[in-house]
Amino acid sequence: MTVPNGHLLLLAAALFAVGVAGFLLRRNVIVVLMSIELMLNAANLSFLAGSRMHALSSPGGIPDPQGPVFAIFVIVVAAVEAAVGLALVIAMYRHKRSVSLDELGELKG
Amino acid sequence: MHDHAWLWLLPAAPLLGSAICGVLHFRTLAARRKDAGAEGSGRLAATIAVLAMAAALGLSLLGLRTLSGMPAEERVLQSPAWSWIRTGEFPIDLALVLDPLSSVMTLVITGVGLLIHIYATGYMKGDRGYAKFFAYMNLFVFAMLLLVLSSSLPGLFIGWEGVGLCSYLLIGFWYEKGWPAEAGQKAFVMNRVGDACFLLGTFLLAKTLGTLDIGAIVAAVPGAASVPALSSRLALAGLLLFAGACGKSAQIPLFTWLPDAMAGPTPVSALIHAATMVTAGVYLLARLNPLYAASPGLMLFVASVGAVTALVAGSSALLQRDIKKVLAYSTVSQLGYMFLALGSGAFAAAIFHLVTHAFFKALLFLGAGSVIHGLHDEQDMHRMGGLARRMPHTFATFLAGAAALSGLPLTSGFFSKDEILSAACANGGAYWVLWVVGLLTAALTAFYTWRMVALTFFGRERFDPERVHPHESPSVMTAPLWILSVLAVLGGALGLPAVSRLPHLIGRWLAPVIEPGLRLIAARQGGAEHLSAGIEWSLLGLGALIALVFAHKGFRACDDGPAFDEAVARAQPLLARFLDDAWGFDRFYQRWIVQPLVLAGFAIAVVVDQFAIDGLVDGAGTLARRLGARARSMATGQIAAYGLWMGAAAALIAIFFLLRGT
Amino acid sequence: MENLLFYVMAAGAVAGALGVVLARNPIASVLALLACFFCLATIYLVAGFQLLAAAQILVYAGAILVLFLFVIMLLNLGQAGPLPKVDREMFRRRRSTLSIAVAAALLLAAAIAVSGFREVTALAALPVHGLDTPAMLAATLFRRYALPFEAISLLLLATAVAVVVLAKRSRAPQAGSRDGDEA
Repeated sequence: MTVPNGHLLLLAAALFAVGVAGFLLRRNVIVVLMSIELMLNAANLSFLAGSRMHALSSPGGIPDPQGPVFAIFVIVVAAVEAAVGLALVIAMYRHKRSVSLDELGELKG
Repeated sequence: MHDHAWLWLLPAAPLLGSAICGVLHFRTLAARRKDAGAEGSGRLAATIAVLAMAAALGLSLLGLRTLSGMPAEERVLQSPAWSWIRTGEFPIDLALVLDPLSSVMTLVITGVGLLIHIYATGYMKGDRGYAKFFAYMNLFVFAMLLLVLSSSLPGLFIGWEGVGLCSYLLIGFWYEKGWPAEAGQKAFVMNRVGDACFLLGTFLLAKTLGTLDIGAIVAAVPGAASVPALSSRLALAGLLLFAGACGKSAQIPLFTWLPDAMAGPTPVSALIHAATMVTAGVYLLARLNPLYAASPGLMLFVASVGAVTALVAGSSALLQRDIKKVLAYSTVSQLGYMFLALGSGAFAAAIFHLVTHAFFKALLFLGAGSVIHGLHDEQDMHRMGGLARRMPHTFATFLAGAAALSGLPLTSGFFSKDEILSAACANGGAYWVLWVVGLLTAALTAFYTWRMVALTFFGRERFDPERVHPHESPSVMTAPLWILSVLAVLGGALGLPAVSRLPHLIGRWLAPVIEPGLRLIAARQGGAEHLSAGIEWSLLGLGALIALVFAHKGFRACDDGPAFDEAVARAQPLLARFLDDAWGFDRFYQRWIVQPLVLAGFAIAVVVDQFAIDGLVDGAGTLARRLGARARSMATGQIAAYGLWMGAAAALIAIFFLLRGT
Repeated sequence: MENLLFYVMAAGAVAGALGVVLARNPIASVLALLACFFCLATIYLVAGFQLLAAAQILVYAGAILVLFLFVIMLLNLGQAGPLPKVDREMFRRRRSTLSIAVAAALLLAAAIAVSGFREVTALAALPVHGLDTPAMLAATLFRRYALPFEAISLLLLATAVAVVVLAKRSRAPQAGSRDGDEA
């Protein structure tokens, strides 16, 4: 594949931007969590793009192994965060019978 | 010669006495709170205080004997120095020095002080602050001894400030009455003005001569004064120090605190405002005599201030009704004489008059105290009269004091006053005017003194016999009166005039100390001034004549009551008021200095303090609170809003890095 | 050929992402996200990251999305019915403009930043076993990043515990039955 790395990064940026928009715009907590997953995936893509760049620029085509390794870490963290977040959603639903972010304003000063 | 550490015992004794009396006072307070009897500690306090004074007197006599056993030029005892301030080039040490001048002062302070302390044990009996009184008195003596014994100007200043403090404490001793507290404050503030000048003078001396040790200053002045650039600086320093002396010794313009200071108990007036504290200024100038002798203009100035003060105060005493106020103005007047002497180059005469004045003025104050005590706190002479029969001891001793004050022939006051006037006359030129002023004041002095005697002890009894039963004071009060009266009458033997070819003891004793100044004067004038024997005898006769004539006039005018005073008040009401007000000085200060300052203070308190500073501080707080409220409104609790802020910030950072090109 | 695949999959991923954000029905969002993940996995594959592609499918699509689906089903959120497909209501709020602006700004910044990366170097032949061989990953993961690896396992344990605690139904203590062992 001879796609320039810039395009990969641009794709990552696009996904990230959509994820930010979703995070800020949506009221449904679960969709917000999904937007966060989207952003994490964008980050993953960036890591891999970086590893690929290393491969492209080195003589033997050796990728930087830290790229995929970090991507694995990110996947784990994303899983963890999704699990905890959803547990919180369940707890919140029990109290408020709703998953709307607007209901969650009790920490206001 | 630096190993006379025992000198420190001199001030230490009264300091210890003061501390013990202080403790006893607190014990009394504690006992009083528990309603237990605490009279015993009062007697104990008095005993301790008197013992401390006696110890100090004994040590002074020991010092005298030691000194007299030494050859005249070497009569200096110095204690080991204690290093107080160690800065690189200007170390300041504290040490005590006993030389002829300071030994005279310590004898006066401890001797007269002891008598006054004994008197006070009777006078202050029954007072709620009995132990406190003696604590303060002893503390005062400690400070005064420090003042006269210090070897350096900073040490002297410590004593200077200390006596000012004790004066404030003792004037306001009966502060519950209200006006004594104000009087104490007035005294302190006026003294402060003088102190500021004192400090400036000290700084100037330090800068010019590079030392603040008195011995070194005295030694350096004659040489430095011949350098034209330095001599004006030295004269200025002398002027500033004299201004400080004016504050402490109640000369114009800083004298109005002394009549108000009569609000304190009479022993305080006797000790502090007659015999000792007010003489500190005289001591200072006598001690630094070369500094003044080097500048003839300064000497004339000092003499003029003294003479004018003497006249103003003497005239103000003429019509006073309060017996203590008469004595107060009289003190100011006699202090003026001392400064006249200093300014005329007669340093020994000034100290001589200091000593005799201590004798007879303390005597008069204590006698007045005896009268007041016997009449149950009556001080208005118009309500006295006929007390000669009722209080014979007080009467007799008071006569002795009055004789000395007015300068009746052969009393101590006669000799000392005459010596001053002769010195003024001998200097010639402008000093003749001052001499005339001195003569005038002597006439006034005789007049008001015997007016006072007449109103108090002679004539009809004008007090209310129902309420007041005058009785003689107990012997603990009259014994000191007798001792002082002997000194007042015979004290002249210390300074017999030169023409009589009898020795002038004080002059000879003080010679080593005042010699530098005399030498400077002689060098300038080409030999000491001397009046011929004939003129000297005439002056003695003139003095005696004036004293006798005006004493008689004053006595006759008032021996049947306040008729004289009332006549004057009717004929010349303005003059009477003018004199009663001490020539309006106090009113002037009140209107032009005190009230503007109070107004300024009020303005600052309200405008600057309340509006500006409080506004600033409170405003800062209010601002913080408002900002906080504003910021608080951001914490909506809505996660999406927070997310928006975070996102916006992240975007800004991204753009920042983008533009920066990292 | 692979380039074309990349661009198509890229478009698909963006479309899926938009679907997540815009869909009204949460189940539709989940399915859109699924589509996005699949496209991403393909891209990883084409770029030579085979292990990561597998991990993406297995973990992301296979576990995380399933979890999402479970929760939505549990809470009965995916109501079918006369609902618009796109959530138009979210655009009517005050901060929506600002949010979109923020996202756009980020995108723009990234685009400008990336515009420099134009080189097309040939990585003509990808190695058979991919750019991220297990051996290579293992060498890095278990040696250099051993500590973070262990930490991650601890994190997973903590998460398991936390989820149980958080989602547990808290029972109100019943009057009369005070058994000390009840939590």
